[in-house]
Amino acid sequence: MALIRGRDKKVAAQIFTASMADIVFLLLVFFILTYKVEVDRTKMDLPDTWIRIKVPEKAAVISISPPDDRGGLPLTIRVSTGKEMSLPVSTDEEIVTFASTEVARDPNKEFIIKADEAVPYERVDAVLDALKQSKAKYIFLLSDQKTVDE
Amino acid sequence: MNIKKKEIASEIFTGSMADISFLLIIYFMITSAFSADRGMDFALPEDTDTPEIKQEDSIDVHVLRGGAIEVDQKALPLEGLLPYTLEKLKQNPEKPVILRTDPDATYGDMIRVFDRLRQASSEWTDVDGQPLYKDVHGNPLLGIKTISIPTQREIENLWSMLGIQ
Repeated sequence: MALIRGRDKKVAAQIFTASMADIVFLLLVFFILTYKVEVDRTKMDLPDTWIRIKVPEKAAVISISPPDDRGGLPLTIRVSTGKEMSLPVSTDEEIVTFASTEVARDPNKEFIIKADEAVPYERVDAVLDALKQSKAKYIFLLSDQKTVDE
Repeated sequence: MNIKKKEIASEIFTGSMADISFLLIIYFMITSAFSADRGMDFALPEDTDTPEIKQEDSIDVHVLRGGAIEVDQKALPLEGLLPYTLEKLKQNPEKPVILRTDPDATYGDMIRVFDRLRQASSEWTDVDGQPLYKDVHGNPLLGIKTISIPTQREIENLWSMLGIQ
């Protein structure tokens, strides 16, 4: 007789994949719904605040990143209309021109200032001054949520 | 004569569906970003409705280098800012707060003080939004009506108008 004692019956090793399509589509729907292109991807430490309201989606963005001591990069200011990726500007006049153009297109255009908390206030002041000169009305100062242990 | 129709199996080929789905997931994962989308708002005054604010008619908050603050030329801890402002606004609720920042201070220093001033509306009301304090005329105090953030150029213009060097 060919039966060998002690040998187990072979169990087919299979990974159950029937629910994979459901999971994949669930993830796909999630990412489609939360999809938002970030017009400025400059990494920075935003200041923490208790007061935080949602910024408008199509607002123009002015980002101010501090000088990078390791990479030797100077303080950088970038601007974006809110629709295209941000571009660097080198003078305050360029910020005035950018903001004036945006305000001329839409007098109620909102501007987001995304600045690192370590940036000297002098630079933020120059940006605020440029926005005032451009007759901008609404400004948002981007921040992170402050927590009790901070 | 009976002609038997050959049945054609109608199937949608789904073999590549998983590939397409994964490709789309990877695309959306990479291009989407959980960006910071909240912050503090403020409206800039329009030229037509900008009243001339004199320093003595207002509460002058000066953020110094290092983050310390002076309120009406007197050093004050950040915790004392709102109680001081409350006492001043009880006398005159229309008093604006002028937030000046030293050019050598950091943006974080200025935001810390601005955030504190903006908290007045929540600290001066109870959980139902009812005011906790009243001014001398018996009107409820719901927060600071005007917080002005003048730029360095505006401050210098004002000083030159007043003849201060």
